[in-house]
Amino acid sequence: MSNLQTTYLGIPIKNPIVVGSSGLSSTIDGIKALAKAGVAAIVLKSVFEEEIKAEAEQTIGQQLGQDDNNLEFYDYYDYQVKNEVLDRYVSLIREAKAAVDIPIIASINCSSYSEWVSFAHKIEEAGADGIELNIFKLPFGVKDEAAAIEKIYFDIVDKVKTSLRIPFGIKLAPYFTNLGNVIHRLSHSGAQGLVLFNRFTSVDYDIENDQVVVGKVYSNADEYVNSLRWISIAAPNAGCDLIASTGIHDYRTLVKMLMAGASSVELVSAIYKEGAEVVGAMLSELEQWMSRRGFQSIADFKGRLSQGEASNPEVFERVQFMRYFSGHKQ
Amino acid sequence: MAVSKAYLKEEREQEWRVEVRKLLKNKERTALPRVKMGEVEARERICSNIEVNKGLSADEAVNEARRCLDCPDPTCISGCPVEINIPKFIKRIEQGDFLKAARVLKETSTLPAVCGRVCPQEKQCEAKCFYQLKLKNEPVAIGYLERFAADYERESGQISVPEVAPANGIKIAVIGSGPAGLTFAGDMAKQGYDVTVFEALHEIGGVLKYGIPEFRLPNSIVDVEIDNLKRMGVKFENNFIVGRTASIEDLKEEGFAGFFTGSGAGLPRFMNIPGENYIGILSSNEYLTRVNLMDAANPDTDTPVISGKQVAVIGGGNTAMDSVRTARRLGAERAMIIYRRSMEEMPARVEEIKHAQEEGIEFLTLTNPVAYFADEKGRVNKVRVQKMELGEPDASGRRRPMPVEGSEYDIDVDTVVVSVGVSPNPLIPSSLPQLETTRWGTIVVDEDKLQTSIPEMFAGGDIVRGGATVILAMGDGRNAAAAMHKYLQDKRNA
Repeated sequence: MSNLQTTYLGIPIKNPIVVGSSGLSSTIDGIKALAKAGVAAIVLKSVFEEEIKAEAEQTIGQQLGQDDNNLEFYDYYDYQVKNEVLDRYVSLIREAKAAVDIPIIASINCSSYSEWVSFAHKIEEAGADGIELNIFKLPFGVKDEAAAIEKIYFDIVDKVKTSLRIPFGIKLAPYFTNLGNVIHRLSHSGAQGLVLFNRFTSVDYDIENDQVVVGKVYSNADEYVNSLRWISIAAPNAGCDLIASTGIHDYRTLVKMLMAGASSVELVSAIYKEGAEVVGAMLSELEQWMSRRGFQSIADFKGRLSQGEASNPEVFERVQFMRYFSGHKQ
Repeated sequence: MAVSKAYLKEEREQEWRVEVRKLLKNKERTALPRVKMGEVEARERICSNIEVNKGLSADEAVNEARRCLDCPDPTCISGCPVEINIPKFIKRIEQGDFLKAARVLKETSTLPAVCGRVCPQEKQCEAKCFYQLKLKNEPVAIGYLERFAADYERESGQISVPEVAPANGIKIAVIGSGPAGLTFAGDMAKQGYDVTVFEALHEIGGVLKYGIPEFRLPNSIVDVEIDNLKRMGVKFENNFIVGRTASIEDLKEEGFAGFFTGSGAGLPRFMNIPGENYIGILSSNEYLTRVNLMDAANPDTDTPVISGKQVAVIGGGNTAMDSVRTARRLGAERAMIIYRRSMEEMPARVEEIKHAQEEGIEFLTLTNPVAYFADEKGRVNKVRVQKMELGEPDASGRRRPMPVEGSEYDIDVDTVVVSVGVSPNPLIPSSLPQLETTRWGTIVVDEDKLQTSIPEMFAGGDIVRGGATVILAMGDGRNAAAAMHKYLQDKRNA
């Protein structure tokens, strides 16, 4: 029997499969089912500050009386909604901790620095084992300098780390001017893990009905390559756990991510598509592969094909198809 | 419950009204300046609880009453939730018959001396005054005149008691003795019902007593209005918590046939920011109730409130103004309002803000607390605030406050009063599972009848609206009384 133990945000976990933040982890029943299926840790569905603000706005719009006669009642109503949402989230954390014996990781997405700290503080008090900071703001501001956008990430980490005792990680977007630099610096910033990468909703067009629609919700098995490249590049000098996310649908990709240097992976789309049973199947195939290859533990092959260890490290830096790009075979 | 135009016309055509209108030409009336209410000097009033507004003299009141044009279409009435016949009482003042003016007020208002002091007339009746709507001029000072008439009657010792119909023997319970409950009780008593008001606190008056400080609304004024209700036969039970002392079922067994819930919004809200549980941080509900009802400003009482020297009050509503001005009177050297929007967006009445400014209150606008810090004994000693800027308008039509990142700084404080709103009192809804409530904890009622999902229970005021003005709560009390009367009559005749 192979030893599948590894870490996530520095937290020891029994195997490398963690459920990513999603609707799968938004209820106690869902959490219990995932734990039963064998996952090693669960990231709860994110709580979004923007969602709280939108709910408060909607309430105020509906409830504000004639001549604003109850304006005093609703003047700070966003705090009321926030407290209700956070209370529900705290209950979910507490119930999840009581229901399962694997690490429960909270996930937050805020739009202001102070709220990152405030949310994180409350989640820590609730007993979560760690927090994933789901930081991302679409950089569509034409006047925003890249350096200023990057600074936001580091400022948030600085604020959060001074007020938290539990481990925290950052779920990162791949959209940075110098991604390698950002990953490297963030991995040494005090965070205990970086999740590479966040997969965002996309926009698509319905050309028969002339409508803008939400693009494909789930990832497919070909989407893993970007995460693989950057984990491979970052792993040799990373200061914290790297966690792979996006496009991990079978044990082969799981193995690839570990060989690239990831300590664990986050699964969502594969479970949505194939059910929680996919976890057991992937773990079983991972064990068979390890046995076939003679590996006793994850540590035996983790990072084996990272840029630092690979025999042809230059491949990771090639992005253009050129005649002398000999590695490609039809 | 719209007042009939035919009735108003008939009233307006009465001989005495016609004669008063003839006393001056409209041009002469509109040329008169609006009266200014006398006030106690700020430096004097901050040393005591003396009422700030002095009221009008008889001459000032008559002069102001002359400005009223006694319009054929009195739009001002539509701005009053209890539909006081405004031109009629004002013309009685112009006529010099102040007692009759007071009686007009009492035709529809149980608490005229209170409304004359705390109603936001600038948003209600005065906002609908012809001067304001058509002439773009300062409206007739309806609120000042209302207060004058009510005060005159009280001080004259000739207080009129509204007529009460012969007793019909039907017992009605009123839960809560705030403006909604008192108005409902008065209107039901007029119809001959046997009304008992149950109040959880040791004093009758609800928010009028515990929430509004003496310098804005003296308790003695409220007591006179309550005495009037007692003289109409309304009974009061203090220290009685419906849902604890006795349940609704217990009261039904005692023969109560109808219930009106006006239990208000007495549950304080907090921001839930780090450090908010430190000693010295309290809600405005607690702060004001202890000072107004429990003599907590007196250091010799069992539970005195701390007289902070550096007091921060969080919020921008009337309750925040009441709290910060109370702190000033209790000896605060630095009394601050910390509000996350600008002065323009504050929900507090313009008059309250003006009075606060005169009293030396600092306004830290576009500023929001993010954390509190304490000394080794757990006593708050600093508030960390963040500067804000205004973004696009939000659902309230006001520009949204947005944090300015990196702008935090600390302010020394020894007392913080959090005044960011209240939630409905949960006791009645939680003791009656079949009572339909909203997700905000307010009781669901039929909009016109104010009848709840329990047919014999009606409700109004803050427990239905979440937050409302005194006069809106009174309007609910009136409407609910009319609807319950009809409901009980129909039931009896069925």
